[in-house]
Amino acid sequence: MDLSGLYAIGAGLAMMAALGAGIGLGVASGGAMQGVARNPEASGKIMTTGLIFATLSEVTAIFGFVISIMLISKI
Amino acid sequence: MFSGDELKTNNLFSIHAFGQEIPISDTIVMTWIIMAVLIILSVVFTRNMKKIPVGKQSVTEIVVEGINGVIKSTMGHHWKSFAPYFGTVFLFLIVANMSSLFNLFPSAETLYFITGNEYFENCAQFSIVPPTKDINLALALAIISIVLIPISGIRYKGLGGWLKSFLKPMPMMLPFNILDYGTRILSLTLRLFGNILAGFVIMELLYQGALFVKPLIPIASAFFDLFDAGLQSYIFVFLSSMYIAEVIE
Repeated sequence: MDLSGLYAIGAGLAMMAALGAGIGLGVASGGAMQGVARNPEASGKIMTTGLIFATLSEVTAIFGFVISIMLISKI
Repeated sequence: MFSGDELKTNNLFSIHAFGQEIPISDTIVMTWIIMAVLIILSVVFTRNMKKIPVGKQSVTEIVVEGINGVIKSTMGHHWKSFAPYFGTVFLFLIVANMSSLFNLFPSAETLYFITGNEYFENCAQFSIVPPTKDINLALALAIISIVLIPISGIRYKGLGGWLKSFLKPMPMMLPFNILDYGTRILSLTLRLFGNILAGFVIMELLYQGALFVKPLIPIASAFFDLFDAGLQSYIFVFLSSMYIAEVIE
């Protein structure tokens, strides 16, 4: 029985990690927006810290991406 | 289409040394090129320094002061001994991540496809790709940064002081603090490697794509090759300096 199709399904499922990263990015940028709206003078500082935490939450999607690439290259 | 070729390194030639054959991949050749570019630029930009900066010296001062400012804001008063290392890593990473912008020369495969000349079919396949899309280089950089943590901890706090940092903020956290050394290597490596590889794969798909996706290429290139590349180098330096600051403060 040829099971190589299951690798493809697994690779697709691994990208479900992007769901969490999307929620995290939304929360982080929402918080940054609120901060800028309340204190427009601090927008530069909020921008840099917001970018850092956006990247930190992005890493879950990257883990999923790496796993799905490992699975895809096995087919 | 994606075929897993993006993950593999391309062995260009091999060196015979110490009775062994050492394969030289395109990652290493790209690293050599970037090292040469950085060394030449740093020699050119720091020649004839004057007290009042003009021209290229003021550019150099802006870059160096920017790096110093970032390291100073994360590391506090010990910044002076770490700023040169992190500045070097930052400059290397930013040139490495953005290097796909300089992929101006057609590869041997393309030349063979266009001209049909058989000479191009057999010569080495080399094209300028970001070397950080190879997991080995990202892992090497992460290991250097992680090895620096105990070294700087022992230097500034003594052996006892460094060992005591495992018990912070409370002794219950000891297993997690030990685990941290492994997971930090993993997360630093995979963050850099995964982001650059994702950008590279998406850009390759766009280059080979249908005609109606071609207008997207400049936008995607600006995002992946400029914005994301710069951000990832900044994040790498920022996080590894934060890990060290945790130990020496």
